[in-house]
Amino acid sequence: MLEDELNVGIRQREGVAIIDLMGDVTTFAEEKINSAYREVTEGGARYVLLNFRQNDYINSAGIAILIGIVTEVNRNNQKLAVSGLSQHFQKIFRMVGLAQYAEIYQDEDEALQGFKSATTA
Amino acid sequence: MKTTYYSASMELSIPSELGYEVIARDAVAAFALRMGFTHERVEDLKTALSEACINAIEHGNMLAPNLRVNVACMCDNDRLLVEIHDQGLKHHTPAQMPLSMADKLAGLGSMRGMGLLLIGQLMDEAGFDPNSQDGNRFHLTLYRQHTVEHVPSQRTE
Repeated sequence: MLEDELNVGIRQREGVAIIDLMGDVTTFAEEKINSAYREVTEGGARYVLLNFRQNDYINSAGIAILIGIVTEVNRNNQKLAVSGLSQHFQKIFRMVGLAQYAEIYQDEDEALQGFKSATTA
Repeated sequence: MKTTYYSASMELSIPSELGYEVIARDAVAAFALRMGFTHERVEDLKTALSEACINAIEHGNMLAPNLRVNVACMCDNDRLLVEIHDQGLKHHTPAQMPLSMADKLAGLGSMRGMGLLLIGQLMDEAGFDPNSQDGNRFHLTLYRQHTVEHVPSQRTE
């Protein structure tokens, strides 16, 4: 099986739990992404940023994983945003409707600013 | 019967194993770029082709490793046509209307099933050949004169 590498990292910045996703987001990424999300949620995260980096391939199975994350975010009363997507994948996220449930930002700094604006609004 | 002559063509054969769609995708993308399609359109094609190959691998050939998925590309002055042909253990009959994101979040169906929706929005034309007798044949078409953004899916047969 040709398993693509996805490297997942977790860090905190300005009260936001950032999950870095570096590589391909496909069916093979499910355990890594869900595990990272569980970890930040168990750590009490209220604001979660999926920060995409070097993602040449995000397919419908990967999108299904992200829909699952949106479901959990809604259930846990968290706020979700995504950053770092290429123009093409931003378009894909809008096409499938993910953009209605997670703000899309160009980069991490813009996303953090967006979270800050949302909390002070 | 009208015969279409293509100025360039390419064929690939991949095993029914997830991950190989990326190899087909990259080869077809290189072909499309060589044929003069823009980077943006080639990105659309890469996503659509990957999804079509995944459907052929998972649904058509049901992940049987000894079965093949054939990908044929043909290009002329008007269009690029890509045909994805599996060996059809199972006739792929997709749902007429994919579930919306709201329905999926409400738990009304699988989180999967976005592939055909994406293909329909990204390609100028896409659809199954209803007359195929030897497995599922699915085609994707990109026209050189692409003037309308996100033309809905059409069946050309």
